[in-house]
Amino acid sequence: MIHFERFTLENGLRVLFHKEPSTPMAVVNLLYDVGARDENPKQTGFAHLFEHLMFGGSVHIPDFDAPLQAAGGQSNAFTSNDITNYYDVLPAHNLDTALWLESDRMRSLAFTPKSLEVQRQVVIEEFKQRYLNQPYGDTWLQLRPLAYQKHPYRWATIGKNIKHIADATMDDVRAFFQKHYHPSNAILCIVGNFELAEIQQKVAYFFGDIPAQIKVERKLPQEPIQKRLRQKVIVRKVPADSFYYAFQMGKRLDNDYYLADLLSDHIGNEKTGLLFIELQRKKRLVSEITAYITGSIDNGLFVITGKINPKRTLMELDDALWPLLEKYKGKKMSKSALQQLILKLQTAKAFQDQGLLNRAMNLSFFELLGDAELINKESERFTSIQTADLQTYAQQLFDKNRCALLQIQAQLP
Amino acid sequence: MKQQTNRAVIDRTIAPTLRPVEHISFVAPSAHPLKNGAVLYFRYGLQNETSKIELHFAAGSANDDPISVSLCAGLLINGTQNQTAKQIQKALDAVGAYYDVSLSQETTVVTLYALKDQLLKAYRVFHDSLFGASFPQKELNELVHERQQKFRVQQQKVSFLAQRLFQRSLFAGSIYAQQIQLEDFKRADRSAIMAFHQQHYLKGLKKVFLIGDISAAHFDTFLGLLNEYQSEIPKRTAFEWKPEAGSTHIEQVAALQSAVRIGRPLFNKTHPDFCAFSVLNTILGDYFGSRLMSNIREDKGYTYGIGSHIVENSKFGYFVIGTEVGVQTRTATFLEIQKEFERLQNEPVSNAELELVKSYLMGQLLKSADGPYAMLDLFANVETLGLDLSFYDHYIAEIKAVDAKKLQELAKQYLNWDQMLIISAG
Repeated sequence: MIHFERFTLENGLRVLFHKEPSTPMAVVNLLYDVGARDENPKQTGFAHLFEHLMFGGSVHIPDFDAPLQAAGGQSNAFTSNDITNYYDVLPAHNLDTALWLESDRMRSLAFTPKSLEVQRQVVIEEFKQRYLNQPYGDTWLQLRPLAYQKHPYRWATIGKNIKHIADATMDDVRAFFQKHYHPSNAILCIVGNFELAEIQQKVAYFFGDIPAQIKVERKLPQEPIQKRLRQKVIVRKVPADSFYYAFQMGKRLDNDYYLADLLSDHIGNEKTGLLFIELQRKKRLVSEITAYITGSIDNGLFVITGKINPKRTLMELDDALWPLLEKYKGKKMSKSALQQLILKLQTAKAFQDQGLLNRAMNLSFFELLGDAELINKESERFTSIQTADLQTYAQQLFDKNRCALLQIQAQLP
Repeated sequence: MKQQTNRAVIDRTIAPTLRPVEHISFVAPSAHPLKNGAVLYFRYGLQNETSKIELHFAAGSANDDPISVSLCAGLLINGTQNQTAKQIQKALDAVGAYYDVSLSQETTVVTLYALKDQLLKAYRVFHDSLFGASFPQKELNELVHERQQKFRVQQQKVSFLAQRLFQRSLFAGSIYAQQIQLEDFKRADRSAIMAFHQQHYLKGLKKVFLIGDISAAHFDTFLGLLNEYQSEIPKRTAFEWKPEAGSTHIEQVAALQSAVRIGRPLFNKTHPDFCAFSVLNTILGDYFGSRLMSNIREDKGYTYGIGSHIVENSKFGYFVIGTEVGVQTRTATFLEIQKEFERLQNEPVSNAELELVKSYLMGQLLKSADGPYAMLDLFANVETLGLDLSFYDHYIAEIKAVDAKKLQELAKQYLNWDQMLIISAG
């Protein structure tokens, strides 16, 4: 159980506090309810570019990082399709420094042309490093628009292409801040050996005077149920053909998520999973194969991916995969197999929950989903699953008509 | 519940008062000698359900032909006379355990993670599989094939190419320069792997780190099992630096970025200059506000990231700067790095910068000491070098004492562009 306290400031800032008596450190996690899904389709990559600009100094504090480092702390952030999450880890006795920094940049960011120019350049280098200059690096840039045609998940957090980032103007950046960076669009979580009253007082002091603003209601086009298989073949200079079968699945809080998580482990595990045993070992079609889920807040994807062996083909794999999934739909998982999968998930969760930062991020994330208390109910959602539920779900999930298939063909030398 | 907002006006230009980290206590695990001369280090008092056992074997890539070393590590629990690889994996799955093998130059570390009541069962599975390992030819063939495919993907990465050439050149003429080549997979030899397993695993256990609130009975059983490892036969290999200095570029025609590695031989924690050099290294490139990051990323925008590090093993250490930069800005990046070396040699570090870095390092050390897992890692880092936790008290004292003059001397001694090995790919 992770215990926490919750309160809300008048300006709408939601605050979570989790007391951890054993640590000399403090974590300040600040989640903003804005991700790549909130971007204008003509200005993609903005949420992430903006995350970089948040370290460029605020109105009263020219440099974000230096005061935190002087306090013995460290900061970083990440952007996903759903959220932008900032965090500071520092010695607990210097907690005020992190609150001072975070509150000032929520209140009023300093926008300098230099900062925009440099961070644009940095993000372009990041684009190259992670997506363009790696074998298979642009897979998700290709797969997203195939799997999503309406929902903004159709582009990656880095953006549709470099041009959107290169074209970002100061006015665009200011407008983005105005719209998304304010108290009622944020969740603050503090972890450390403090008292609640102390936290209430400090948070009110630093964040209390930030003007309230109305949270913009999100109206995203939802992805319709796919009617027919979508397939795309691209040719790249890579050593082996590779494939991505992406099936439509439900939202993060739907039962789907828990069922899909277990199914992906069951068929995707190395050495013991169905895909490995049948397609890698028995049929020798692939040199690696696995399954995983994206776990996004809106409808996610269940992905089966791998690489083809030399002298075997993408078509042979395709011919073998579909009958295998059909057969799987007809077979009920044993109770003991289900229990093992759940035990493994619980073990992994126990290790994750050890980390202060993990606890802070997860509390914030579940609060965003509706209630931080959900963090303590995850385990129950898994243990209440029956083997029959998994079979029913597999029958619904592995539907060829609801699959987006991306195939990467190795360019012949 | 609604919180009443405090309407007191705050002057946001004034930073909150900072307090230094005053004290860090370091707690050693209990030490239990094993029959083969190795030591089991045990830490409990976690107050949660997690546990882990970490076994360090003298089975690193420099211990033999790297292809045998690597394949052996990959096949440790892939079959015995009585059990297949799949059955072994299923037995680990049944207790919810995770298994991980990591290979470095000197050591192979096997780690098992499980809930505290399951760890012994997981270890038994590993133990029986390791002692009974039969290295089925079929499993070997499969692994060779998988590794070959992965290797081909790696070869397309500029970071992989640069890192490998850097290692080969830095460790030129020594066993540490040995690397797997694609052709090596063709000569994978089951009998060589089996011989390596006998010598470096069954007789090669160097130490064990056990952590978790496991029962006394389980602990005793662990001791009994660990005492089944045979005596270590220490094989000392002499090491002498003969690095190739100078600059080499691997051209990759279609690359958008170049991976860069710049470095030189250095030392590990046992050297008197280590602590002061750590401060210098941090200033140069080992935190977000470092000079390399401030200049090359935050001012010029040439890269997504650049950093400098001290890499250590039991005998030596080396210094390395790593980055990936746009192909067009590679030469400009070299010039800027060179400038930063010269600035450190010619201008004393300001008091403000030095104090900031000292506070930062103290905060980071406090974080590295936070919690039983982190503390055990801190202990392991010094134990490997024959030091104990008192090293950290020494480190704190040295960090507090170092001044701008000392840093300038160290920069002149260790950060000379002409003495650097400069590798780039892309």
